[in-house]
Amino acid sequence: MEINPANPLDTQTPPPGLVNLFRVEDVLNLARANSLWPLTFGLACCAIELMAGGASRFDLDRFGAGVFRPSPRQADLMIVAGTISRKMVPCIKTLYDQMPSPKYVIALGGCATGGGPFKYPGQYGILEGMDKIIPVNVYIPGCPPRPEALIAGILELQKQILSGKTQGKMSPAVMHDSQDNRPAEYKNAISRVEFRRPPALPTPPVSPTPSQG
Amino acid sequence: MAAILEKDIKAWLLEVVKADELNKKDVKKTGIHFEAIVPTSKIRDVAKEFLNQGYFLESLTAVDFAECFEAVYHFNHWKELRRGCVKILVTKEENKAPSISSIYKSANWFEREIYDMFGITFIDHPNLKRILLPESSTIHPLLKSFKGEPAGSDVEQCLKLINEDKEGFEILYPQSVTHHQKDYYLNLGPQHPSTHGVLRILLHLAGERVLDGEPILGYSHRHHEKMMEIQSYLACWPNMGRLDYVGAMSYNFAYAILIEKAMGIAPASPRVEYIRVLTTELNRITSHLLWMGTFLLDLGAFTPFFYGFDDREKILDILEMATGERLTYDYFRFGGLDKDIPAEMIPAIKEFIPHFKKRLKDYDALITKNIIFKKRTRNLGYLTKENALAYGVTGPCLRATGVPMDLRRHEPYSIYPELDFEIVTATDGDAYSRYLVRMKEIEESLKIIQQVIEKMPEGATILGKLPKNVPKGEYYTAVEAARGSFGMYLVSDGTLNPYRLKLRTPSFSNLNSIIEILPGCLVSDVVAVLGSIDIVLPEIDR
Repeated sequence: MEINPANPLDTQTPPPGLVNLFRVEDVLNLARANSLWPLTFGLACCAIELMAGGASRFDLDRFGAGVFRPSPRQADLMIVAGTISRKMVPCIKTLYDQMPSPKYVIALGGCATGGGPFKYPGQYGILEGMDKIIPVNVYIPGCPPRPEALIAGILELQKQILSGKTQGKMSPAVMHDSQDNRPAEYKNAISRVEFRRPPALPTPPVSPTPSQG
Repeated sequence: MAAILEKDIKAWLLEVVKADELNKKDVKKTGIHFEAIVPTSKIRDVAKEFLNQGYFLESLTAVDFAECFEAVYHFNHWKELRRGCVKILVTKEENKAPSISSIYKSANWFEREIYDMFGITFIDHPNLKRILLPESSTIHPLLKSFKGEPAGSDVEQCLKLINEDKEGFEILYPQSVTHHQKDYYLNLGPQHPSTHGVLRILLHLAGERVLDGEPILGYSHRHHEKMMEIQSYLACWPNMGRLDYVGAMSYNFAYAILIEKAMGIAPASPRVEYIRVLTTELNRITSHLLWMGTFLLDLGAFTPFFYGFDDREKILDILEMATGERLTYDYFRFGGLDKDIPAEMIPAIKEFIPHFKKRLKDYDALITKNIIFKKRTRNLGYLTKENALAYGVTGPCLRATGVPMDLRRHEPYSIYPELDFEIVTATDGDAYSRYLVRMKEIEESLKIIQQVIEKMPEGATILGKLPKNVPKGEYYTAVEAARGSFGMYLVSDGTLNPYRLKLRTPSFSNLNSIIEILPGCLVSDVVAVLGSIDIVLPEIDR
């Protein structure tokens, strides 16, 4: 450890020039952001635009998100594309739980975001928004969103991953998860990086520049 | 021939059944040729007689009136249009009706749907349980007494379903999950890349061989019918774009015709009809292209998917010029269109057609003559003509069995009688002939498009002020959608919103026939069979 020549007894200030292991997470995040493996998972109309996004003209592969996996165990991105009927919710929840962490969720279209055109007072068939059951990272509006919007959403998700922010948001009506017995802060498989933030470096005091009279 | 049939069945209805009422309906207005209310106990005899005369069951639904339920059966004949409507009255105290599922196989699912939505029990039904809603559900949503669920009930019910974690999964795996047994059960779906949505099929297998398969629906139920009961006629347009999102124009078309007939208005000018047919046929091509790509993707061929989507995008660009939308079209209006097509659209189509004709030759070389594809689909998923009619199968699946029924000719609407095109049929009834029929239909649609853009007249595309409500009465309209006959049955009480609007969707009946096709298949072929039927789940579940 280098000793601060100005104040040899200072142990609080982190020494400069030491190998910073937190950067490893950054590198991992760089890899995660640029090789998202989405789950092949369509619910309704938006799934067609999702397919169009993966097909010839739009080609999600350009952004590293083109490897659609049919098995949740190989995927790390769930794109909820379409209306969530209540009968389907247990399946979606199971799929989400089966995905290995770190995992991300994109709510594609109005229905997955908040019920979309099928929401009306007294409705009996759908769940009004995916964030009531699982945390969501990126919301993409539209009915259905164009593939360009999906690409914009994926770029936004990449930004979030690169900045280490991987925990999605839940709606105020957050569920109490009976199957998940872990402590609240570990729930929904938060990436380790959120617990291991590098300590903030002290800002160097700004010395007033002497005026040249 | 058909006239005799109608006379016969009418005389028979009058003599044998002593129908309470036998009305001749105004076909031009209501779409129904004759209507009879028969005693509840006689409905099985009536169904048998209709079957003997060669009719198929087009639709079966119920309407909740204040005094009683009315179960409405629509029969139609494949040779010539003879839509007969038979009704039975079911009292609210008794709440029971005889099942006709042993006579018409397609009635099985229709009756289950009525049980699910109205709570009417069908006596002697082999498998009467909920079809669209979860098993644990307690509501019958299409009852007029059902006023909706309280806010926040969605999260509550979903949590209940998650915690129980049943939703049929446990119930339907019988106790016999012990190992080393001859037969076992396998779930295909609801999350499976080749179910094209969220369909679940419970397969009963012996080794690799399918003993039987039961489709389980409802994973995409979006309460269209209840929604349309509580909103005005104009507000139903977006629902039409989202029922079958792959071929939404046909659904727009059906709704436009239904309300125009009922209101007694005609489209603003012939130009409206021409544009409607033009956009519908373009949309039919995109639908078939999407099907082709995904079907071959299911079979393991990647290239046609990219080719198909490439062409599809080009058509979507053209449609986007007119509608501003790529998928869930909401373009037609009562008596007109949302807006006229832009000037650059016709040249774009003219440019597209030669390119696409060249592409069709590529597809022919790439797929139709491909030996692997042939081996994979020939003699697979065989559907006989009798079974197809018994299940009420329509569209390319029916035409692949050799029945030349296309509603564009069978029940001519719009300007289709003036246009020159053929009804494509095949004779084998297997997956390969279903493929051939669809590819031929693309060519026929191209022919129609060419004629339409040549003849396109000038004129207004929007009507002036319209009445807000539809006159009291019952109306039925059917059009040929990309997947088959899409029917709409409207009961209007003269108010601002529909009293009951039944959507008879083609894939619902087409998928029903899979029960007949699956036994004997290999597991790997189930995907091929399912793909060849061309289903769109939200249209099945509504």
